[in-house]
Amino acid sequence: MRLRINGQVDRGRFSLAVDVDLEIDGVTALVGASGAGKSTVLRLIGGFEPDARATVEVDGERWQSGDRRGGTLPPHARSVATVFQDSRLFPHLNVQRNLDFASRAPARPGVRLSFAEVVGFLDLEGLLAHFPHQLSGGQRQRVALGRALLAPAKLWLFDEPLAALDPPSRREIAPYLHRLCRRHAVHIIYVSHSLPEVLSLADRVLLAAGGRVGLVDSLAAFSTSFDNPLLGDEAGAVIVCEFKGYDSGYRLSELTFEGASLFVPGDLSTAGAADAETAGAERRILLHIPARDVSLSTAPVEQVSILNRVRGEVDQVADQGDSMLVRVRCGKQHLLARITRRSADDLRIAAGVRVQALIKSVAVRSGET
Amino acid sequence: MAIGGDIGQAVFVTALLAFVTTVILLVVSPPLAWWIARTSSRWRAPVEAMTALPLVLPPTVVGFYLLLAMAPAGVLGSVSEAIVGAPLAFTFAGLVIGSMIYSLPFVAGPLASAFRTTDGRLLEAAASLGTPPLTRFLRLVLPMHRKALIAAAVLGFAHTVGEFGIVLMIGGNIPGETRVLSIALFDRVEMLDYAGAHVIAASLLAFSLIVLTFTYRWLRP
Repeated sequence: MRLRINGQVDRGRFSLAVDVDLEIDGVTALVGASGAGKSTVLRLIGGFEPDARATVEVDGERWQSGDRRGGTLPPHARSVATVFQDSRLFPHLNVQRNLDFASRAPARPGVRLSFAEVVGFLDLEGLLAHFPHQLSGGQRQRVALGRALLAPAKLWLFDEPLAALDPPSRREIAPYLHRLCRRHAVHIIYVSHSLPEVLSLADRVLLAAGGRVGLVDSLAAFSTSFDNPLLGDEAGAVIVCEFKGYDSGYRLSELTFEGASLFVPGDLSTAGAADAETAGAERRILLHIPARDVSLSTAPVEQVSILNRVRGEVDQVADQGDSMLVRVRCGKQHLLARITRRSADDLRIAAGVRVQALIKSVAVRSGET
Repeated sequence: MAIGGDIGQAVFVTALLAFVTTVILLVVSPPLAWWIARTSSRWRAPVEAMTALPLVLPPTVVGFYLLLAMAPAGVLGSVSEAIVGAPLAFTFAGLVIGSMIYSLPFVAGPLASAFRTTDGRLLEAAASLGTPPLTRFLRLVLPMHRKALIAAAVLGFAHTVGEFGIVLMIGGNIPGETRVLSIALFDRVEMLDYAGAHVIAASLLAFSLIVLTFTYRWLRP
């Protein structure tokens, strides 16, 4: 499905220029610092910025033309449903009737998921008789998610659906989001402040910064760019590897990463995507490597239990107060390592220093990119 | 004429007038109040002022102009003449129109105040789910403000029961047609029948007190 937005939104002194024209099948993450205009972009697509001088076209259908004559499709007539940060359940209706509100809305082009399917998928059966004020924050957000999924739509907008939740509620609802995002029937634009969330869910990343919105080159480049606004405690690199083989004796899959071998537990021989161009040849697998799970050594380390060791060269160092974030270039890709200030001084870590990166853990992401 | 029968008739006319007026106001007021509460039009203030006029004007002023309008040559009277072949003044229908205007601020006013508190974010959510504006109003706005709707209806009814000045101007004093309780009370006093007057006055007092107590309890539980 194609999304085209062109124009700008003015909000008092704040002005946001948007010029995107891209395929948005699957999950598109929309990231940026607070106040960079992420929610404004969602509101523009959703139909809540009718005065914006911007054109919005989804799937070849013009929803907004940016001038009074061309007109604007009102929100209810656009095939798009939003999940808001505050769940916005209707307080006078129980969960069942909140959901009915969406499933009985007049038809719009797109898919309509069945009530039983959504209720089953999100485990809402036991909540149907409850009223919103009787639910926990996580449950409310799960109902809001279900309600949006029941609305007839082509595209779903998630405006930081987990941001207002406490960590336990977040952990409760995250698996549902993961399963949902991996279902390719639904197309989602997902505003998030959480880097792990973006790196584990997104197929591509839109970045809002400096009054503009644009697509980042690749997830891998985005994850290791020091301009990334989400780079914080949870920084980590996404790397692209190729599947080489599976050792059934040790139950380890061997992957190639810029000439080096990485070993990952489990059989990945069917994971990842063999896209049309590379069918039959190498299969690409994306790995997510948190910076805190990478150690650096300036001398080769051999006698160590860590299997995954990659040689590279430091190309950027960021002082983050308590710790240093180090970007290591390995061939054409990068890894991130978080080390203490003391280690950085002892090892004289600086741009140009050759290091060995010791990787303690990796997580496999699905493979299409 | 027996006192009891006379009062019974007046009670019936009063109740019917208040009931019909309230029902019509419950249809007319919500859209008007919603518009007043949500619009940014420069016509909002004048329209709201027109609606609120009966709060500050002596009822006899409103009644006087309504009487002129309802006369055979008046705006309302000639329309009525054309449609049903009779003028409106001194008829029950005329009383209903007068009562509607007189009680409108007591229904539309509280509704507009309540509607102003509507959480716009919920309406956005409903729109995003595909719900068109009229459905949003009927299925979200009205149910969310059902307390205010009931309170407004009760106030409208009670206020219509208590009106006097307009009825005197445009309704006259026709038994079974336009003689309501407040007029019947006035008659008793003019005839120095204080005992009969007490029956009506005390009943109206008790009725109003009960209704208002009920309403304020409902509004603030």
